[in-house]
Amino acid sequence: MALEDLRAMVSRCSRCSYCKWIPLAHVKSWRFAKGCPSVEYNKFQSYSASGRLCASLSLLDGRSSYFDEGLVDIVFKCMLDGSCDVACKVNRYDLEPVEVMRQLRFKMIDNGCFPFQDLPYIEHLRKEDNMMLEEKADRGKWAEGLEVKDLTQEKAEVAFHAGCRLSFDQDLWEIPRTVVKILKDAGVDFGILGKDENCCGTRVSDMGYRGEFLKYAENNIDAWTNAGVKTVVTACSDGYHGLKRLYPEEFDFKFEVLHITQFIERLIQEGKIKFTREVPMTVTYHDPCHLGRRGEAHVPWKGEQKKIRGQILVYEPRKPRYNGVQGIYDTPRNIIKSIPGIKLVEMERNREYAWCCGAGAGVRERYPEFSAWTAGERIEEANATGAEAIVSACPHCERNFIDAVNERGERMKVYDILDLVREAI
Amino acid sequence: MAEKKDELIKLLGAENVVDDPEVLNGFAGDQSFAAPNKPLMVVKPGNADDVQAVVRWANQTRTPLVPVSSGAPRFRGDSVPGIEGAVIVDLGRMNRIIMIDRRNRVAIVEPGVTFGRLQPALAKEGLRLSMPTLPRASKSVLTSSLEREPIMNPRYGWSLSEPLRCLESVMGNGEMFRTGELAGANVSTSTAGETKPMPIEALLEKRKKTQESALYQYGPGQFNYHKLVSAAQGTMGIITWASLRCEVLPKAQKFFLVPAEDLDSLIGFTYKLLRLRFHDELMLLSRSCLASMLANDADQAAALEKTLPPWTLFLGLTGRDILPEERVAFLEADVREFARSFQLTLETAVSGVTADPVAATLMNPSPEPYWKLRRKGGCQDIFFLTTLNKAPEFTAVMNRLAEASDYPLPDLSVYLQPTHMGTSCHVEFHLPFDPENGAEKARAEDLFARASKELSEQGAFFSRPYGIWSDLAYGRNAEHTDISRKLKKIFDPNNVLNPGKLCF
Amino acid sequence: MALPREVYEALEAIVGPDNITEEPATLDSYAYQWMAELVTDVSGGGKFFDRAEAVLMPGSAEDVQNIIKTCNRNNLPYHAFSTGWGPWAASPAKGQILMDLRRMNRIIEIDEQNMFAVVEPYCVAAQLQSEVMKKGLNNHISGAGAGTSVLANACCFQGGGPDVIYFASPQDSILSIEWVTPEGNILTTGSKGSDLGWFCAEGPGPSTQGVIRGALGGAGGWGVVTKIAIRLVHWPGPKQIPVEGTAPAYRTRLSPDYFKAAFLAFPSFQAFADAIYRIYDSEIGYIVHRQFVMWGDELQAAFLNIVTDPTKQLCDLEELLKKPEIQKLTEEMQRSFQMILAGMTPRDLAYQRKVLAEILKTTDGWNIDFVDREDIQQYVLLFMLRLCFKSVNFAATGGFIDSYNSVATPDVWASGEIEAGKKLLKKYAGRIADAGDQAMGPIGGQGGGGCTGWEDFVFYDPADPDSAQAATEVSDEGDVLKAKQGRPPGGMLLGLARATHSDVNVRSKKLSKSPEYRWQRRIKEVLDPGSVGSGNYFWGAEPEKE
Repeated sequence: MALEDLRAMVSRCSRCSYCKWIPLAHVKSWRFAKGCPSVEYNKFQSYSASGRLCASLSLLDGRSSYFDEGLVDIVFKCMLDGSCDVACKVNRYDLEPVEVMRQLRFKMIDNGCFPFQDLPYIEHLRKEDNMMLEEKADRGKWAEGLEVKDLTQEKAEVAFHAGCRLSFDQDLWEIPRTVVKILKDAGVDFGILGKDENCCGTRVSDMGYRGEFLKYAENNIDAWTNAGVKTVVTACSDGYHGLKRLYPEEFDFKFEVLHITQFIERLIQEGKIKFTREVPMTVTYHDPCHLGRRGEAHVPWKGEQKKIRGQILVYEPRKPRYNGVQGIYDTPRNIIKSIPGIKLVEMERNREYAWCCGAGAGVRERYPEFSAWTAGERIEEANATGAEAIVSACPHCERNFIDAVNERGERMKVYDILDLVREAI
Repeated sequence: MAEKKDELIKLLGAENVVDDPEVLNGFAGDQSFAAPNKPLMVVKPGNADDVQAVVRWANQTRTPLVPVSSGAPRFRGDSVPGIEGAVIVDLGRMNRIIMIDRRNRVAIVEPGVTFGRLQPALAKEGLRLSMPTLPRASKSVLTSSLEREPIMNPRYGWSLSEPLRCLESVMGNGEMFRTGELAGANVSTSTAGETKPMPIEALLEKRKKTQESALYQYGPGQFNYHKLVSAAQGTMGIITWASLRCEVLPKAQKFFLVPAEDLDSLIGFTYKLLRLRFHDELMLLSRSCLASMLANDADQAAALEKTLPPWTLFLGLTGRDILPEERVAFLEADVREFARSFQLTLETAVSGVTADPVAATLMNPSPEPYWKLRRKGGCQDIFFLTTLNKAPEFTAVMNRLAEASDYPLPDLSVYLQPTHMGTSCHVEFHLPFDPENGAEKARAEDLFARASKELSEQGAFFSRPYGIWSDLAYGRNAEHTDISRKLKKIFDPNNVLNPGKLCF
Repeated sequence: MALPREVYEALEAIVGPDNITEEPATLDSYAYQWMAELVTDVSGGGKFFDRAEAVLMPGSAEDVQNIIKTCNRNNLPYHAFSTGWGPWAASPAKGQILMDLRRMNRIIEIDEQNMFAVVEPYCVAAQLQSEVMKKGLNNHISGAGAGTSVLANACCFQGGGPDVIYFASPQDSILSIEWVTPEGNILTTGSKGSDLGWFCAEGPGPSTQGVIRGALGGAGGWGVVTKIAIRLVHWPGPKQIPVEGTAPAYRTRLSPDYFKAAFLAFPSFQAFADAIYRIYDSEIGYIVHRQFVMWGDELQAAFLNIVTDPTKQLCDLEELLKKPEIQKLTEEMQRSFQMILAGMTPRDLAYQRKVLAEILKTTDGWNIDFVDREDIQQYVLLFMLRLCFKSVNFAATGGFIDSYNSVATPDVWASGEIEAGKKLLKKYAGRIADAGDQAMGPIGGQGGGGCTGWEDFVFYDPADPDSAQAATEVSDEGDVLKAKQGRPPGGMLLGLARATHSDVNVRSKKLSKSPEYRWQRRIKEVLDPGSVGSGNYFWGAEPEKE
């Protein structure tokens, strides 16, 4: 739906401010009651989901212009992490805050209104098929020395899509290498695209560049189709969200999509992975937004909004709620808890109301200070649990946490779940 | 003077304008150390119209008025004229109990109604008023509440003004005004064409049709006027009736005394009771205070003091409408456990003093002579608000100051009354003295002044700033003083109401 | 019209460049408000009130002071708010600035022993509650819910809610207040004003707290309250309310030795009223409220089944309404209200339950079985104790106001006003939601009980001009019906929305007859001589001609 189609919706925001907090039922302290990093950092109402709904209506009504100087900052200084969406939908069945904000971004980009910081990244994406500002030719280097099927040459049932961050961030290469080991040990018929792998497009979609996203999505679908792939596995939550939700929204997408944690959990249940080594550590798990509340699968829906009992708004047929509850929360926790010696403690904000890491939707690229601040807030929250390490399931989260820890001189260790798995097997 | 008298007689009738010297002397001073000042006259209005007429007259003639509702002996100095030429407005004739509504637990009284008259009338309807401890027989119920006197049962202290709700006031400029839910456009036009509020009886009758009563005390509009006339010592308006929220009359009651060697050991237990609201009447009394309350004279008090513990907590547990005995029983069971955890015991008798008669004494108006005067004939109180946990410190300070003044410590008594649901505590020191003994009186006066100052410096909050406390209190809050004066100028532009009191 | 640059720069110098903006979309995010579309005669229609000239975010009372002084010097009206949920948060007229107080959000102090907390404007009830519960305490939550400002509810608006029967009205729970006056001075009331701690609200002498708020507060146009101390009550539950379940059906498991949720139903509204009186007299109840009827007496049972089931949505409403068990529950809940009993000790709860049973016996009432179903009991406890679901007021249609309200003694429930309210709503059904009697309100009303009453909810669609128009017609017709009976006007929310955006002189003329409004005006003129506290809400009658 384009922004114009959402006029009625944005007129129904009640200004309750629930989008700014975690679901109020879950507030456990003054400090960690907040849900929306954007409004916490930028403070003005316009930086909340409600504020952007108001701004959308203001634009639609012609009261403000897409070209107003401050508007770019308001629209794009947000990770689209979806905390607002979850909190709003605890009580509202008719509002889609993230969807409105997505459409607002598309509209801005369509009008040529974008953060000037984008230029090098978009340019680079178009040239080198990644926004890591690295050369495409180096993309497959993480897999050097591993004998893995090349999906440009061979067919396989499963494609492991490493993703831009894991392909180019050398500090994190053990993660995709562990994936390879696990898949191999499990006897899975899989391959990778290596240097020919392209960006999944999720990040650039969240940034507002729908055209770029469609291009990359189409390209990836072709590549996997040509390779006979049935299942795509990823260790990147950003990618997971893209494949699970955005691709099926736009295309006839017939691939099964799994996050590596789902795969591992399956293997544990089948007895195919055994954790034999102790990992004595107290850890806390950070739910990546794109695996958790934004990790819900796309559900095809064609219907309409109508009114019953006079004015009560309903969808017919029943519309998928996308309220975050179907995200992947237990799987990573089950894995962690099955590793001997590990003690898992929870942060106050977890599961569908976890605080964002600060990396998503172009914020790390466009607004590094805001991104770092957001990550720092999460590290504070992890510190408050007494954990030695923060564990996640997304390399974007991990990179942002590593940088935050280093910048702040903290002692908190940052791991991916695969790091723990690797230690334990 | 004669002219003024004639004018007042025209307004009120000759029998209600008094300049008899003996009567005037009775109002010239009180039990406090306030400088005596003989009034010009005493007038006795019979109703709100009379009060309004007097106030309007006072504005025209620039005559100071001192409203007085309670009978003698008076103690605070607030009813002693602050300047020459004042007229006492004795509201004692206005003593109607205008309404009692059992269902909604509210009554409306005029200023001259005393506890001794009101409580039996309420009891007939199955109600009771939350009362201060052992008030004097001549004390005005309305004034007690208006002046924020603490009540015995802190859990009915929803605010410090409880049980006061709505009121009618003739303000200093002569305008009649009602507060809370009884305000509003309830007007009728008098035969003179002037807009006046509907008579209260008619208003109440009218409001029955819309199921409205007299309980909602806030407003009207954006100010809480009942707060702006509270603890005002009659400087903002003369209150001609007030509605009071009542308790349901108990059907079951049990009283206990909790003895203690020192005050500190009662504090934690008291907080526990306050926290859970597992109490009705609740206060802490020093040995000499309890003795003074119970004794008929100094000798009896001395005899009691020989055996009473240094401190006694007095506790009432009450059951009202439904299953009253069960309420008392479960409260007693729980409270006994709490007491044990604080190494205290609930007793029904201590040193020959039984709880029930203590209750009967404390919970009724004082027989004559007023209990504070029985020891020595005179008494000055120092009272202020603080938090309960600070009471022991203040008691120690007072003891030290008394000793330094050679004031006999056994005479000094302490009454601690938790207030406002336990958030604050009224601390009251009694300094009995023989008013006929010049040296004793001087010593008491000196101690009173020095102790007031030192206690203020130590953190005592004189929320009700009588006499010398007003400089101490207002001196600490310039903006409050400034705004108070601005409000005074609005409500009483000619400063006719009790000038010289508070910061006016 | 932009602020003169020197004024903008003066304000910027106070709060810093990051905390002031004139950006249009941001200004509109403050101008957009709930109910704006109903106040068409003032704002010209649509979701936007007048844009403020600028929005500022002060960080301290000193900042606020300096802003107000600057406003006074420059004859620039200001308007302040905390969480801003309501049309009274938007700029009342053109040419004003807004103060968004979100930077002032601290809990300054919690005094456990004396049971109070000191907070700044942007500390919301959920935050305070989570901290005080750690100490075995609890705070009042206004009917607007856990996401609203503790301070603003207590000082600046109305502030009542489901728990006042035990927790007291916020007006009574306020202790000392720090208030930046309309002239830009700082008044600290009560004991804190004498630098003695926050514990006492009143004095010395007449309590100047009386000019900070009355039945209503100044709604942001009467100086700015920057701190309050607020009284707390005991909390016999765990240090942290455990929450389980899947959204939206979050629920809590609390010890049945200390907590019990009840749905009390009655055969008639007379019995309903009688029961309320007996509840008052017997002094039971921690929270007592007619809550779920906000969805309409005809729909509340079905709605409850929807919100407590994560698989259900509003499209399931009609199917549910066909089910016999829902129809039975609907019938049972028609004359019912909710009650949370909290025992300070197990004996206390056992006693309260016995008393409640006795009350039900003598009024032919009953506790509806439905609430004893484990998941419902847990949901209701969480709902009422945390009041964390209050944006659900908007769930049905996206918009609501109140209409045929009543505030009176409990006998008003039996006066026929409920039926009259339902009849009024039914008249407009179709253009507004057809839900039946929607009279939701606090049974307790005041500490210990006293005045009670309700708001009669009207569910309308803010995106549908005819629905919005119908909502205003309901409220206005309700006011006319009330006036005929000699009752106060019914629609509080629309009335206040209009009042906060109306021409002060027009409103003053209407109020000239009543003496209390003359006082109000006089006090306003003396304490706000510059009249820059955005006074459109703050009306007062014209002074008498000399």
